[in-house]
Amino acid sequence: MVKPLTHKVWRDMGRYRAQFIAVIVTVFLGVAIFAATYDSYENLVTSYETTFLDYRFANLTVAGGDTEAMATAAVGTAGVEAAYSRTVVDVPLQVGETKLLGRAVGLPAAGQPPVNQVKVIEGTYLDPARPDGVLVEQHMADHFGLSPGDQLEVLAGTSWRQIEVLGVISSPEYIWPARSRQEVITTPDDFGVVFATETLARELAGVQKPNEVVLYYQDGKPDAALSAELGSTARGLGATQVYTRDEQPSNAALSEDIRGFREMAFLFPVLFIVAAAMASYVMISRFVYSQRPHIGGMLANGFTRGQVLRHYLAYGWISGLLGALPGAVLGVFLAGVISRLYTGMLSVPVTVIEFRWSTLAVGVLIGVVATLAAALAPALVASRIRPAEAMRGETPAGRGRPSIAERLLPPLRRLPIRWRMAFRGIERSPRRTVYTMLGVVLSLVLVLVSWGMIDTVQHLLNLQFVQISREDAVVYFATPVGETQVTDLEAVPGVAAAEPDLEVPVSLAAGGEVYDTTLIALEAATQMHRFRSVDGSWTQLPEEGLLLGRAIGPALGVERGDVVSVTVSSLGLTLEGTVVGFVDEPLGTFVYSSRGYAAAQLGRSLPATSALVRYAEGADAAAVRDAITRLTDVAAFEDSDALYNVMNHYMVLFYAFVGVMLVFGAAMAFALIFNTMTVNIAERSREVATMLAMGTRRRTVSRLITAENLMVAVAAIPIGLVVGYYLSAYFMASFSSDMFTFSLYVRPVTFVFAGLAIVVVALISGWPGLRALRRLHIPTVVKERSS
Amino acid sequence: MISLEKVRKTYGEGVTEVHALRDVDLEVPTGEMIVILGPSGSGKTTLLNLVGAIDDVSSGSIRVGDVDLSSLNADERVEYRRTQVGFVFQFFNLIPTLTASENVELVAELTRGDGAQRAHTALEQVGLVGRFDHFPSQLSGGEQQRVAIARALAKEPPILLCDEPTGELDFETGRLILGLLRRLNRENRQTMLLVTHNAAIGEIADRVVRLRSGEIIEDRHIEVPVDAEALTW
Repeated sequence: MVKPLTHKVWRDMGRYRAQFIAVIVTVFLGVAIFAATYDSYENLVTSYETTFLDYRFANLTVAGGDTEAMATAAVGTAGVEAAYSRTVVDVPLQVGETKLLGRAVGLPAAGQPPVNQVKVIEGTYLDPARPDGVLVEQHMADHFGLSPGDQLEVLAGTSWRQIEVLGVISSPEYIWPARSRQEVITTPDDFGVVFATETLARELAGVQKPNEVVLYYQDGKPDAALSAELGSTARGLGATQVYTRDEQPSNAALSEDIRGFREMAFLFPVLFIVAAAMASYVMISRFVYSQRPHIGGMLANGFTRGQVLRHYLAYGWISGLLGALPGAVLGVFLAGVISRLYTGMLSVPVTVIEFRWSTLAVGVLIGVVATLAAALAPALVASRIRPAEAMRGETPAGRGRPSIAERLLPPLRRLPIRWRMAFRGIERSPRRTVYTMLGVVLSLVLVLVSWGMIDTVQHLLNLQFVQISREDAVVYFATPVGETQVTDLEAVPGVAAAEPDLEVPVSLAAGGEVYDTTLIALEAATQMHRFRSVDGSWTQLPEEGLLLGRAIGPALGVERGDVVSVTVSSLGLTLEGTVVGFVDEPLGTFVYSSRGYAAAQLGRSLPATSALVRYAEGADAAAVRDAITRLTDVAAFEDSDALYNVMNHYMVLFYAFVGVMLVFGAAMAFALIFNTMTVNIAERSREVATMLAMGTRRRTVSRLITAENLMVAVAAIPIGLVVGYYLSAYFMASFSSDMFTFSLYVRPVTFVFAGLAIVVVALISGWPGLRALRRLHIPTVVKERSS
Repeated sequence: MISLEKVRKTYGEGVTEVHALRDVDLEVPTGEMIVILGPSGSGKTTLLNLVGAIDDVSSGSIRVGDVDLSSLNADERVEYRRTQVGFVFQFFNLIPTLTASENVELVAELTRGDGAQRAHTALEQVGLVGRFDHFPSQLSGGEQQRVAIARALAKEPPILLCDEPTGELDFETGRLILGLLRRLNRENRQTMLLVTHNAAIGEIADRVVRLRSGEIIEDRHIEVPVDAEALTW
């Protein structure tokens, strides 16, 4: 580029710095979000993959059936590098006064297993010479402050047995401490994992042989065909549960979580970059319009059209570069911080932070290309200007016509002229109006996607913990009990009611498909659990038949009226049940039956594994908890409020993130509306000056311009709300699985607030332009050939 | 009566200081048509802007009737522009999204009564019957200037300030516009200040004031103003 033209670019940018800063900041935010979220996603994926590789995380887990035969078959199968048979048992644990439903996982006493190794964080690995020594999983150790040398108790049969903490470990299986795919959310007071010698684990389980096989494929690489083949073999050998690494509860939950980063790495930056491109287009178009005489002069003095084209393209790519480069650098830096925070919070054994030139380059490229593309149309217009015409200083006359609103609603033609002006002003530059509206739409999408997430999660928590689960607490028994022990709980002071509940792992099968879940058998007239149909209506637990979680329907290909077989491996029984309906629950996918129906189908009386308890009015929850946990049969006590609070605790970071997104959304709306408004005002400065010279008050002119801009913003709000709603629904649906059901819920008041927020942003973003109006020098402007 | 006493107007400071008007004294009786002549930078537009209260004097005073313009606050200046003066600009300065009648009506609405009726009357006065609903882009330059004049007239102001009203027009159209202004001045008895660099135009006025470098170098009464149709340049 010719040097004086370079000076001109920089000086123009300095003169219109507010508008350029708006573009630069929007590009900066978009690119920073892209780089931060994309690299965070990549870092987390790499951290997990490295963890899985380093600790030989199982590619396939098979529970139940003939585990020895399964291990033998697997080792002989091409592609399987290692198999390890072990015992896993859910047993009550007691730490101090707290009883919890724990899990003991068997490990070789002499050294790490070939599959699912653990990372010793504190203390030592297991010791064959100390058979009662255990390794405590990090989440549990952190919560109870356990360290090597501490004691805890485990229920062995009917008596409590003391065990000693040898070390604190982290495990790829429990990075997220999920009890099962159906119970992903647990509290540390209710669930904890210890790793014991295989011998101790078998003693606790009361078994002679291992009950689980974990398989590691060649180099740890997933292989769907191999998993299918081995899964089929396992089912043939009586396995009750088979799941791949992707389906493993902890990993599945984490994958859901980091998928959010991937979605955000695309959706949110796109919104910002498009907004920046539009703001850039509006601004550069205005430049070309107002600089027509200069352009004519340049062409007349021998500048080529190519030089003019490149000159105006420079306004685009320079502002893009100024925003994208620091944005990409900051984003890459933030990705490291976010990744470290995230893996630290979850205690992921390995954290991999990588610097990716590609992310930096793509980030910069996105910003530059977007603004360059935005500059292209006005730059082409500039390069095609006819010099003689342009040098006369005449800008093309604006075409006038009644507004669409006036044509559609003829009574509007009787409005005072100044209001008709406002209507027609909207159509004066249709492209600019469309871009302003698009800016509002994009901002609302960002706001609704963010706010919609909060509303949805709050709604789902309320649905799950208030409307569906009506109990105040769940009391887990050490061993299955009869209904008498359950009703005995009602004698505990502060307990108003208690109902028996059987929860057992089951395998549902139909048409060759198998789905592993939990059967929950409750009293048909239960007052502790409500059942929500797929259409949102409330239904009763039927006396006869099964109610299935909605995800089971497509998984097994079954519909209402079909029969499914339900294998209860712990009882060694299988029942045939008729599907009488599907329920829609936010957390987990269960199968429900009345206790009577389950007992009849199983041909035996039904025990209770837990009791659902409701407190008496005004009861002291802590006292009730203390009284119940002191009972001998009780293994654990799960307070519903505690679980709800855990969920809310996890949401804090999420709320912070959404808060930041709301601020960014406002900034984006501000940038675009500010640019279009200032251009709008600049373009009609001569008209404004003329009106002022004629005796129109400045506040009247300000109101007119504000009204015009508000009309554009307000017209775009319904569109933005609709588009935002559907995009939010798509975004939330992408998080749904059989573990979580995220059906978008947006409170009506959110729509109102989002719309009002845009109105406020539109008013604020117009303020600098209106201030400029106050500084307008009437004598100068009325003499100008054009604005 | 418009009365300027020792009016001084300075722009900028230090090395960039420009004296647009230097101690100008001038009295314009009600109903008089004055043509203010002078080359670029002589201060003629500045003088017009000061009388129109869209700019402030640096020193001296301007009185219009009993009102001292320099004593008016912002709101009073707006009120003064609303009721006392009408502007006609070189580049017409019409609002492109409004029709001819709406452009006029917009200003008429600022004062009193039926804006539409007064807009129509003003447009009839300037001979634009049948073009009421045309937008500026559908009108010729001369027609646009007629709309601008009608706009200035619609408020029925006692003072009409015209800044190079023929500057953008061809010779024939320019003469027609000047004839129109002269006729309106006589019919309405409005005081009219017309700024131009075209010396020939001075012959249609009651009086010619010539400025150079911010000072009045000639103040001449014309005994028998010529008809605009007879002008040539």
